[in-house]
Amino acid sequence: MNHISLLAVDPAQSRHWLFPEPAEIIYGGIASLIIFAALWKFAVPAFKKALGARTERIQKELDASANDLSKAQADATQIRQALGDIESEKARLLADAKAQADALLADGRARLTAEIAELEAKADADIAAAASRGSDELRNEIGRLAGVATDRVIASVLDDSTQQALVENFIAKVGASR
Amino acid sequence: MSDNRIEGYARALFEIARAEGNIDTVEAELYQLARAFESSDALRSKLTDDQIPAARRQAIVEDLIGATAANTTVQLVSLVIGSGRGRDLPAIVDKLVRRASSSKHLEVAEVRSAVPLTAEQQSRLAATLTSVTGKQINLKVVVDPSVLGGLVATVGDTVIDGSVRTRLDNVKSRL
Repeated sequence: MNHISLLAVDPAQSRHWLFPEPAEIIYGGIASLIIFAALWKFAVPAFKKALGARTERIQKELDASANDLSKAQADATQIRQALGDIESEKARLLADAKAQADALLADGRARLTAEIAELEAKADADIAAAASRGSDELRNEIGRLAGVATDRVIASVLDDSTQQALVENFIAKVGASR
Repeated sequence: MSDNRIEGYARALFEIARAEGNIDTVEAELYQLARAFESSDALRSKLTDDQIPAARRQAIVEDLIGATAANTTVQLVSLVIGSGRGRDLPAIVDKLVRRASSSKHLEVAEVRSAVPLTAEQQSRLAATLTSVTGKQINLKVVVDPSVLGGLVATVGDTVIDGSVRTRLDNVKSRL
């Protein structure tokens, strides 16, 4: 209803209904200037400050990203270098192990050769000792058997008359030794 | 066993035999038994085996010499064996024989022979040893086949060796 009433303004009036009053323009203009001035004084610095802070934060983030990137690149370089070191260390360890294995093998061979020589010498000595012992035992056994045989032969030879003669001989010899 | 105990047993056996009035017979029989004890491993092991009861060992002694030896001899040997002194029987008997000989002012002469000696040979041998040593001799003859031939006489610390065994051993050692 209002719109209809606005459209239905009287054309005879001096000022168009769409234009404000001069005083309103003045007041409005002053108010607008005050508002713009206030905005310029208070809002623009805050906005600038916020914008600067945001720029600074973004810059910091960019710097941090750049730092992270360089750090990551350094780490990557270090890792590559470490990988290289590991390879060289691996090669060195393998070389050491091979050298030690070769030394052990040579030492083992030398010791084995010495032990074989020692065992051979001991076996030769044992064989010689056993032969000597066998010879001694044989000699002793022959002596023992010879003794037994001699005893038996003499016992068979010593008949009663010989025994009596030996007794009489003993008595006579002891008597003669007075 | 200590020498004191052996001496004690010898003195006791000697006094018993002397009290019984047959010291010469007992002494001679004990001497022969002691030599048999020394030479026979079987007899020695039987009479010294602690696993065999004393009564059984004494019965062995009586079976062995009961029929031939004097009753006093059997009783004395049974006493020694029954008291578990069988191992010392030869030592006890030797002390007893020395004590018996000393009581008669005699020196014990042990003669080992391969064959038994006649009484006449023993008498001549005792006379010869008496004249050589200057002591009255109580001759104890032991038949020892290991002598082979001849005699070995031991009077105190003196040994007169005329055995074939010793001559043979000398020849063997020289060889």
